[in-house]
Amino acid sequence: MKHLFACWSLGLALCIPGAVSADDAVIGYIKTITDQTTIGDSNGPIKASLGSPIHVGNVIKTDENGAAGVTLKDNTILSIGPNTEFKIEAYQFEPQQDKLQLNASLLKGTLHYISGVIAKLKPEAVTVKTPTGVIAVRGTRFLVKIEE
Amino acid sequence: MTTITLPKTLTFAVALALTGCAKSYLVLLEDHDGSTGKVIFSGAGSETVVEQAGYGAALDNSKTVFKVEQEKINKDFGRALASEPVLPEIFLLYFETGGTKLTAESAALIPKIIETAGKHPAADISVIGHTDTVGDAGKNEKLANERAVQVSKLFDASKMDVKEVAVTSHGEKNLLIKTGDETSEPRNRRVEVTIR
Repeated sequence: MKHLFACWSLGLALCIPGAVSADDAVIGYIKTITDQTTIGDSNGPIKASLGSPIHVGNVIKTDENGAAGVTLKDNTILSIGPNTEFKIEAYQFEPQQDKLQLNASLLKGTLHYISGVIAKLKPEAVTVKTPTGVIAVRGTRFLVKIEE
Repeated sequence: MTTITLPKTLTFAVALALTGCAKSYLVLLEDHDGSTGKVIFSGAGSETVVEQAGYGAALDNSKTVFKVEQEKINKDFGRALASEPVLPEIFLLYFETGGTKLTAESAALIPKIIETAGKHPAADISVIGHTDTVGDAGKNEKLANERAVQVSKLFDASKMDVKEVAVTSHGEKNLLIKTGDETSEPRNRRVEVTIR
């Protein structure tokens, strides 16, 4: 019985950090992937594979042979080429509560972006930051290349 | 060795400066539906707007907009373009009044929906239930949920590559066809399935 209680309280303790973190929700999945791609958060990078979940704060990184595609919950489509580092800074998709936001950063490499529902409902809520400025979108598809 | 390398590097740098070739740049593309929107790049104190598909802008303060040849797009973005996931697909299923029975037309659509889910690798599916405004809002919230739950059972994760099936109820609060209260509207009695 004592043992059971110990396990139970351990379980609770383990749950709490997850429960208070707002960044826990899955906002999209890796839908296409070739070769070496990683998804990183504060715990460091892990190897990504088809179906890997994406969370706010993740950095998706490819090496010289890597490429990957992600579809977010609002149907925004993002695909990246080799030698790329791409970060999801902020994401909110709750149209019923009018909570809509998509802020990403392309630190290096190439990005192909296709607008989803967030850009349709609230265009000003979508930005892609680059080392030299900010890209805003008005319902569209575009490519960006950052050369270091 | 250095005597050969140095002039080459210099020539390359001069050539770059002369053509104004942007190293970091963006290109606006036509959307898959044939429309074209626009992109706005804001750098330090300047703003560049691109409104024509196939045109690009340098990611600096030069405010230059230029045509980008397809060849260059393929060379620079071939891999990123080739990694584009299958586009999300949306289906609407309609119900008989007051319950979870699909209309005959919608029931006939089921095989197509299951087939589509199979074509999306690592599919994540959202199923949103709706009602019309007949009956009270609380009961409709519940009915819309029952409709969505029933449809969600079509996607068996043990048989197909499905990562997630998210079920939501909007009750009578998200009408496709705007009506007053207590209005029977077949197009509002629906479940929206998005296969990503």
